[in-house]
Amino acid sequence: MRRTFAATFLREIFRPLGQILIFITATGLVLSAVMLLLAVLLRGSAIDQALIGRNSVDLLTYTLANLPQVLLDGITLGFVYATIALGYTMVYGVLEFINFAHSEIFAIGAFVGVEVLIALQGAGVLANSTGFGAYAWLIFAMLCGMAASGLTAVLMERVAYRPLRNAPRLVPLISAIGVSFFLQDLIRLVESLTTGQFYRVIPSFGNFEDRVSLATIPLAGSTINVSIQNKSILVILVAVLMLVGLNYLVNATKLGKAIRSVAQDRRSASLMGINVNLIISATFLIGGALGGAAGLLYALKFTRIDPFMGFFPGIKAFTAAVMGGIGNITGAMLGGIVLGMLETFAGSFLSVYTMGAAGAEYTDILAFGILILVLIFRPTGFLGEQVGQKA
Amino acid sequence: MTLLETKGVTKRFGGLVAVHNMDFNEEEGKIYSIIGPNGAGKTTFFNTLTGIYKPEEGAITFDGHSLVGRRPDQISALAIARTFQNIRLFGTMTVVENILVGMNNRLHQNSIGTLLHSKGFREEEESAFKRACELMDFVGLKGIGDELALNLPYGGQRRIEIARALASQPKLLLLDEPTAGMNPHETDDAIRLFRRVRDELGITILLIEHDMRVVMGISERITVMDYGEKIAEGTPAEIRSNPRVIEAYLGRGAAAEQMAEGEA
Amino acid sequence: MATNTLKRTFSRAKDFLQTEKGGIIAIIFTVAYLLVTGLLVYFFIQSLVAFLLFLASGLLVYYLPMPIKAKVIISLVAALVIIPILGIRNIFYLEVMFQICLFSSLALGLNIVVGFTGLLNLGYVAFYAVGAYTWAFFGSQQMYLLHSIPGSQPATNAFFLPADMFYLFAFVGMAVAAIVGILLGLPVLRVRGDYLAIVTLGFGEVIRVLANNLDKPINLTNGPQGITPIQQPTLPQGLQDALRVVLNPLVGHNVTQGEFYNLFFYLITLLVILVVVGVVVRLDNSKIGRAWTAIREDEVAAVAMGIPAVKMKLAAFAVAASFAGIMGVIFAANRTFVSPESFNFLQSINVLTMVILGGMGSIPGVILGAAAVTVLNLQVLQGLSLSLNELRQSGGVIPIINFAWKDLSSQLDPAKYQRLLFGLILIIMMIYRPAGLIPEKRRKRMPAGSEKPKELDNNNNSAVEANQEAHNDAS
Repeated sequence: MRRTFAATFLREIFRPLGQILIFITATGLVLSAVMLLLAVLLRGSAIDQALIGRNSVDLLTYTLANLPQVLLDGITLGFVYATIALGYTMVYGVLEFINFAHSEIFAIGAFVGVEVLIALQGAGVLANSTGFGAYAWLIFAMLCGMAASGLTAVLMERVAYRPLRNAPRLVPLISAIGVSFFLQDLIRLVESLTTGQFYRVIPSFGNFEDRVSLATIPLAGSTINVSIQNKSILVILVAVLMLVGLNYLVNATKLGKAIRSVAQDRRSASLMGINVNLIISATFLIGGALGGAAGLLYALKFTRIDPFMGFFPGIKAFTAAVMGGIGNITGAMLGGIVLGMLETFAGSFLSVYTMGAAGAEYTDILAFGILILVLIFRPTGFLGEQVGQKA
Repeated sequence: MTLLETKGVTKRFGGLVAVHNMDFNEEEGKIYSIIGPNGAGKTTFFNTLTGIYKPEEGAITFDGHSLVGRRPDQISALAIARTFQNIRLFGTMTVVENILVGMNNRLHQNSIGTLLHSKGFREEEESAFKRACELMDFVGLKGIGDELALNLPYGGQRRIEIARALASQPKLLLLDEPTAGMNPHETDDAIRLFRRVRDELGITILLIEHDMRVVMGISERITVMDYGEKIAEGTPAEIRSNPRVIEAYLGRGAAAEQMAEGEA
Repeated sequence: MATNTLKRTFSRAKDFLQTEKGGIIAIIFTVAYLLVTGLLVYFFIQSLVAFLLFLASGLLVYYLPMPIKAKVIISLVAALVIIPILGIRNIFYLEVMFQICLFSSLALGLNIVVGFTGLLNLGYVAFYAVGAYTWAFFGSQQMYLLHSIPGSQPATNAFFLPADMFYLFAFVGMAVAAIVGILLGLPVLRVRGDYLAIVTLGFGEVIRVLANNLDKPINLTNGPQGITPIQQPTLPQGLQDALRVVLNPLVGHNVTQGEFYNLFFYLITLLVILVVVGVVVRLDNSKIGRAWTAIREDEVAAVAMGIPAVKMKLAAFAVAASFAGIMGVIFAANRTFVSPESFNFLQSINVLTMVILGGMGSIPGVILGAAAVTVLNLQVLQGLSLSLNELRQSGGVIPIINFAWKDLSSQLDPAKYQRLLFGLILIIMMIYRPAGLIPEKRRKRMPAGSEKPKELDNNNNSAVEANQEAHNDAS
């Protein structure tokens, strides 16, 4: 039964959009409900008193007032994680192998993009650009970053992973760890030799920093301004674009079909005439490019980057991929959003709810805790794994 | 006396019923076989017996103990041993070490004794090594104890597997296609070996086999499975002429032919 | 042609060495080598090359066939007489030996988990940290500072425990680390191989973040500033004076108390590593060690043979953790200072690189790996750093590109490029020599002179004949 191209196109575009919307809404609702429930249960307790004493608001009001901003921030962070998670999940789906060095692919994208922007700024181009021009330069830098990341990923696969394709599972994993460490110091080396700096800061240009005010909520004499920065909107838009684009690629194109077949059964795929090595390289290229884009988005959002920036986002994105079901692209989206929201909720509310005993510094290891819980109680992830059946 | 008994054992994988309502028993000191076309559920049945799978329904009793819900290492401790369809040796360990691992349950060493190399420890290691050598001789692997298991040819590896299984002093030995890939010489040796295991060591044997020479040659009773169910059971002579069995292996046409020949 | 003659002379030399006369020649050669390189180090005390040559004598002792007693005596003399003297001449060498023994212990522990049992643990440093912080907490004044904000309260003069409780706490640290190992293992060991790696990595980070942040609500770890001072066990003055009588003339200066402490810690770690090696060898040659290796080779088959996989994996974790724990205590006492910085992911990979480089599952391999990586870290990289600094001062230029050395960014310091080094080692080893420098060797048990394999068959068919028959039957 031949489906029309239009029907396929629309279905593959709107289905992931719909899924993303559902995930965000559901996660947001559940988490908000949990926080509000907690606030209500703790009414009158010592925690409540402490907050009243310090900020003259009670727990419930505080929670309610902060929820919108926390949700917005959580969504933004969630999309960043989701985009990084795509690279992990694609490679695992095809090779059943954790590309430990994906975190450095992410970092390379950030560094190349940022250095391009710094060079442009040095050439005086950025200062004059406004509105559309600024966005164009940003996209240009992102494409540079994506190219660098994608190519690095392909090279990495060729040199360090392909020779080990038939080795026992731990061997390529150890090699991947080696690549990760090597790249971290390579970035540091290149930066030292060229700029002599450890940190790099993304130049500010255009109207990315401007905030779009969505609502104001009065709270204990002052007001909470619920707003979202332009750059966050940009991050979300680009991330959604990439997610939908990748979903379309994998589910509705010939290349995608080839990738899925190699993921299912490598040997049969090659018997059907598919050039397996080429497909695997393509997978790394695509996953790497997406990771590189995520890198520049991260740099845009957090402004400062360093050679070791990939470590924590990488682990968290991997956790997100596992949460959603490794190998499953929709799962990576879901996992990323859930993890981003959880982390933002924890970062905002943890210190208040524990009276300062545990604060935002513990959010980094939240991801590990979640990973362990998921692996113990639901190792195939929420949406189920999608990896090949090895004969 | 009945050593092993299963009643109504059913194993499902999602929608696929791999083993359905399997009633089976085996008397002590016998050699029985389970045969059937590929995919009939024979290995799944073995895996259920040895605890790798947990059956959805049914009861399994061995030597008075219920096996359902026990882990494979616990079942091994109850004196059931097995070999695997695709040889699963410890490749980078030597032949002797593979057999010594088989003895793991029977060795009583504790950590203190190990660390202090107590007399008890040393004596037990000595006697374990001697027994391993005896088992090697028994299966025909004399003198190659220090070879790495993965270096041995296929037939040798099969023997190591059997020796390793025997090392745990089982009452019941489950052999999963033990003569697969063997030439007629090796198969004859294998048949002799199995008889010796029953006669000299008093071990009950349950065989999954495709080689009809082996099956018809040494089985005292044959059970036939197809699509997860038992379709026939009986002596070799009964099975050989059972139309349902012929149909399962060769298709309905062949069965009809056989019937026609039989009547003619 | 040349390689063949080389091979022949080589094997003839090997055969000769197996004889009694050959054994004596080996002993004489090794002793002579030790003395020559020892003297070289003594007189060229700053020379890295001399030191490396001296260390290479370890390989000689290992590889050359000599009676076991000779090997033991030579090793003991080298370790207990020559190294202390050389080490006090140049205290840096004692530090290197201390770290070699320390990391050998850690590497042997990790080897049990990764090498024997095949579980990739990327968070091994957590157990090391647990041991270190155990002594750091009890052996310092931290017990009195539980409610003070880090850095605000002047430390009281009292220490919570007498300094010599260090010896007891070596065992306490071991036990605590082992318990933590089991607690980590319980939820985590059913997770499959590559996921286990990430989870253990996470656990290592959790411990580090805890160490960094458990300074509130009660100040257990003093946060990022770490805990200091931590006590060292007492060295009796009388003993020091007695040793000075012997050592001062040999080393050419008055031996300070600090140098005695360096010597003490070297000897302690040497003692521990000897015990650790003994323990590991004994475990390896028992049903426990065989069970671990069986799990690594084929867990399904191992369980079918009656090996309780979860229990054995927990045991591996516990034993490995205990080695790290005791070394953590010793480390804390040696440095008199611990901070969360010393227990990061890089350290876990440091130990993993030693295991991979030396040879997974191989006890001598892992020790060689530890020595090699430690020397690389402490001496080779440092040496490169120093040379680079000299070049920077010199005002010369890099050839070809004509770039002035002194314009090279000060960020560029080879001593800090361990990640590059570890990364390269891991990649190269995995691709070209995954078994390591000294691959694991299974123990030979068959009595010498037993029949060489006639392979297979009660019928006494040789394997070749049997194969031919198989071919004939198939065709």
